Amino acid sequence: MNLPSTIRAAADTLRDHGGQARAGGTDLTARAGIGRTSGPFVDLRGVAELRGSERRPDGSVRIGAMTTIAEIAADPLVTAGHPALAAAAARLATPQIRTVATLGGNLLQRNRCWYYRNPAFSCHQSGGQGCPARTGASLYSAVIDRGPCVAPHPSSLAVALLAYDATVRTHRLGVVPAARIYGDGDDPTRDHLLEPDDVLIEVTLPPPAPSEGWAHHRAAARAAAEWPLVEAVARVGRDGGRLTSVAVAVGGVARVPLRLPEVERAVLRDGEAPESLSAAAARVADSCSPLADNGYKVELLRATVLEVLEQALAAPSAKADVDTPAREG
Amino acid sequence: MDLNVNGVPVSTDSDPDAPAVELLRDGLGLTGTKLACGNGVCGACTVLIDGAPGASCLLPTAHLEGRSVTTVEGLDGAHPVQRAFAAHDAMQCGYCTPGFVVEAAAFVDRWRAEHGDVDPGRAAVATAMAGHLCRCGAYEGIYAAVRAACAGEHDDPASAPRPRVEAFEKVTGRARYTTDILPAKRLEAVIVRSPHAHARVGAIDAGDVPHVDLLPDDRTLRYVGQPVLAVAAATRSQALAAAARVRIDYSPLPAVTRPEQARAAGSPLVYASRDERRAAPRSGEGPGLPGRWQGNVRGPSGFGRRQATAVRRLSRAAERGDDRLVTAVFTTSVQVHTPLEPHACVARWDERGDLHLHVSTQAVTDVAEQAARRWGLPPERVHVVAEHVGGGFGAKGRLGVEAIAAAELARICGVPVRLVFDRSEELTDAGSRPGTRTELALLADASGDLAALAVDAHGDGGVSVDTPTALFANLVYGTAPRRLRDFDVVTNLPPGAPFRGPGGAPLLWALEQGVDEMALRLKEDPIALRRRWDGNPKRHALYDRAAALPMWQRRNRGAQSGRIRHGVGVAAANWPYLLNTGAQVELEVREGRVVARAAIQDIGTGSRSVIADVVAAELGLPADRVRVEIGHNNGLKGASSTGSKTTTSIGPAAQDAARRLRRLLGDAPSVAHRLEASEGARVVGGRGRDRHGYLTPVPLGGMAVGRGFAGAVHVAEVEVDTRLGRIRVTRMWAGIAAGRIYSERLARNQCEGAIIQGIGYALYEQRHIDPATGVVLTDNLEDYRIPGIADTPEIEVYFHQEGWEHVNGGGVGLGEVAAIGVAASIGNAVRDATGFRPLDLPIRPDRLLEGMRP
Repeated sequence: MNLPSTIRAAADTLRDHGGQARAGGTDLTARAGIGRTSGPFVDLRGVAELRGSERRPDGSVRIGAMTTIAEIAADPLVTAGHPALAAAAARLATPQIRTVATLGGNLLQRNRCWYYRNPAFSCHQSGGQGCPARTGASLYSAVIDRGPCVAPHPSSLAVALLAYDATVRTHRLGVVPAARIYGDGDDPTRDHLLEPDDVLIEVTLPPPAPSEGWAHHRAAARAAAEWPLVEAVARVGRDGGRLTSVAVAVGGVARVPLRLPEVERAVLRDGEAPESLSAAAARVADSCSPLADNGYKVELLRATVLEVLEQALAAPSAKADVDTPAREG
Repeated sequence: MDLNVNGVPVSTDSDPDAPAVELLRDGLGLTGTKLACGNGVCGACTVLIDGAPGASCLLPTAHLEGRSVTTVEGLDGAHPVQRAFAAHDAMQCGYCTPGFVVEAAAFVDRWRAEHGDVDPGRAAVATAMAGHLCRCGAYEGIYAAVRAACAGEHDDPASAPRPRVEAFEKVTGRARYTTDILPAKRLEAVIVRSPHAHARVGAIDAGDVPHVDLLPDDRTLRYVGQPVLAVAAATRSQALAAAARVRIDYSPLPAVTRPEQARAAGSPLVYASRDERRAAPRSGEGPGLPGRWQGNVRGPSGFGRRQATAVRRLSRAAERGDDRLVTAVFTTSVQVHTPLEPHACVARWDERGDLHLHVSTQAVTDVAEQAARRWGLPPERVHVVAEHVGGGFGAKGRLGVEAIAAAELARICGVPVRLVFDRSEELTDAGSRPGTRTELALLADASGDLAALAVDAHGDGGVSVDTPTALFANLVYGTAPRRLRDFDVVTNLPPGAPFRGPGGAPLLWALEQGVDEMALRLKEDPIALRRRWDGNPKRHALYDRAAALPMWQRRNRGAQSGRIRHGVGVAAANWPYLLNTGAQVELEVREGRVVARAAIQDIGTGSRSVIADVVAAELGLPADRVRVEIGHNNGLKGASSTGSKTTTSIGPAAQDAARRLRRLLGDAPSVAHRLEASEGARVVGGRGRDRHGYLTPVPLGGMAVGRGFAGAVHVAEVEVDTRLGRIRVTRMWAGIAAGRIYSERLARNQCEGAIIQGIGYALYEQRHIDPATGVVLTDNLEDYRIPGIADTPEIEVYFHQEGWEHVNGGGVGLGEVAAIGVAASIGNAVRDATGFRPLDLPIRPDRLLEGMRP
């Protein structure tokens, strides 16, 4: 184990000696237990620059990659200005995971496919060939199928970050849109595109919109503590009564978290009458190509998108608290 | 590195990448922290890190450097929430309890600091406890305990009464389970398991590592995960490494992994010869039913009354398109027991050649007898200990491979050997309720009486046979003609095991929905129909109560059209009354107290408390003057914790012993003042016979089937989100007719837990298999989904205590009858809410969406 105290030192160690960067360690420890990783680990907990959150002079919010999920869920900057991110954080995993797992770890965790997570199988993701889920038990597989692997991307926070047009900064890439670190999902060997010696430094959320409705929903069988079958975030901006912006992002359905621009455009164009919303949500079916067991995700994706659209539109234009100076993180 | 644990500075050089739970348990001996899922899902390993709850199974040890850790031991039994858990009986087996207590302590402190001493309500508690799973389903008590502690009701250290005598041990982490037995000088063993669904084993080269062969006689493996051999080494990681080095020659054979495939003509045979079939493992707990074999299908085992009449009536009704003929095919998924304490054994041979087994078991006496036979020892030279048992539900009823392997390796190596299943093994090859496919036909005559019934049930128990399901339809709804046939369809999948009401749960899923459908056809109230068809007077009393419930009275009538719909459903259950006729309890006066001993074990039902309550009441003693010692085979005749028979067997024996002791001590109403002078006084009480005897003329293996049936009626209220496919059980009423209730709070806890497990069976739990390889995919608690606290409805339990006057002690078992009808009541409620009749378990969101599709 290596314990650098600067981002540069961490990146250099990874470059020169290999291994994996470790944040909260929850996913790495779980995967080490099933032989899906063996280290060595470069532990980031000593890197002070990766911690904390703050509002920048331009009103954007920076969150360090080592910030825990629980901290994000409770951060007044986030709950006031980017409430869908706070909601996604508050509902993912379990309370005792949220206290140790981090923003960076959540964004860069590996997928939860039950074939990848079972040492009995070999697949693209574990250094082998093929995708046993594609022809096997595909109940939880991706329904928007864009590549050889069909494991849905597991990050809930990424869904919210996409909806907020967030950027991330990494040591080697600099500042890029959050979606860039995932690409289009056609590489079946990885769950993000960061090079092994790169370090995710921080996330930046644009300044809060002055007035917008939002919603977040996880569709699952049980009430809590379950990986969602489908997850969605919607944001709608208004100017007086007029819709000015719509953002919809979804998870659990594709290799990468996705924005749904065709749905967004349809809502902006056709308005918020119930039939228009239904028609807009129904557009998701066009991009779906289900496997043997996951055909329901087409319907559930449509329903979940409709759900967050309706909720976001019904929300009393939550006025984001942009004027009060908040506590610096 | 340095850290602080429970206020004490600790320096350690343990592996910084290993999970912190290993340092706490193995390194520091703080075994209150449990390792159950290893995946951050169940919360049993939760500790406070600088005051915040964290999952220590996924936390790198390195991350504890410089931090302050509080384990359950660090709460010292002094936190109000610990007293609250004890007072509200917020536990059963107790294996999850330390994790809950640690999380709850942090929540209660935070809540009171922010809100003052007020009740947070159920929702806030559910959110706070969302990361903890209790397989016994003690969530109602947990809600009550956490809410009361927040409200400041347990600040006074003068303890409120504790319904469960071992509660303090469980809330402090002091209760020692088999997994907590860590002899300093020991070896750790692991099992090497088959990677093939079907293969013949040739040469095995294990090198010089101590190992023991676990192959069946024909050296043929028939499912992925079947034990091949076990190896032992100084540590678990060394044992795993040694296991990985073993070379095994496998000759793979064709395999079948799906029942449909197994039934097809020409499919590969799981058992090719008569001898192989005869050696097939059995998933049932009875003596086993005969059955002919055809390919991979065994059966039928047929039962019924006037079977030809039943078949004739049903086929004629089908020909004429009779509306009073209800037919449907129901299926249930394989449900895995997955007790939070995995199967575990620590075995040791002493210098005299006696065998000592710490084992997580539901049957200390049976295990001792089976071990004595296996190793050729007189029974008194096998010493089985199961002080606390972290759940069983039927999966821990016999001498298992964990004990066989540990004992063999201990003999070879001459030191204690410990073998603990990991969660993957527990979810793969440690017991499951077979799946079923049940064809049901139910016919009512012109007057609405039951005219005929046919049930064909095909059990899906992997390599195991004997899954009686249809059989139990012989016990209900009068004497109308019926044909009941049970089949087994064997596949190359892990074997089943008895699971809480084996056969009853899948039968009622089909039958009680069929009866509900008939009520709809007859336009009759479903309770009223059951009342007419069901002659059992004890259940009549329950029907009357159920019919008067506000949720039943006010239920919606007619079709609903909104997105969120509400429904109410009812199901009845009937279950045989079993007992151990020879069960004994010994009482001895020791140091001013009465010590009760029995050769039983407590898997969470509260057997200690039953004995303590009976003895204290009979002798007029305060609770703290009775101590109960169980969990050993101590020469007394015991009872296994299977078949809902422990309480009805041991309760009367305790009563008998107490009466004998009272007579011995001078027959006063209270013997408290005689105890000092009676040191050493000793009596043994037995389980006296029931009036009119038993249905079985002679006990089989100490067990008899008594007269009468335990009964239950469940009424479920559900809320269905038809858009997102979500079903929430919002309320549940359970009426239980099992006679006298020995210990009310514990009995209620059992019934509440039965409902939770029934909800899991109904809505979430399903073992998934990779069809190509036969590998169990749901081998972790993330993918194998058991109910959490937020899935718990508001529960009311009613006990009808009359009708068992012929039974010695007046009460019979209730653990199974309280569980088996739950899923059907939910199915009927979903039908009531949506018009969609769910035929397949679990009623997953995708199935509901599919069923609701116009």
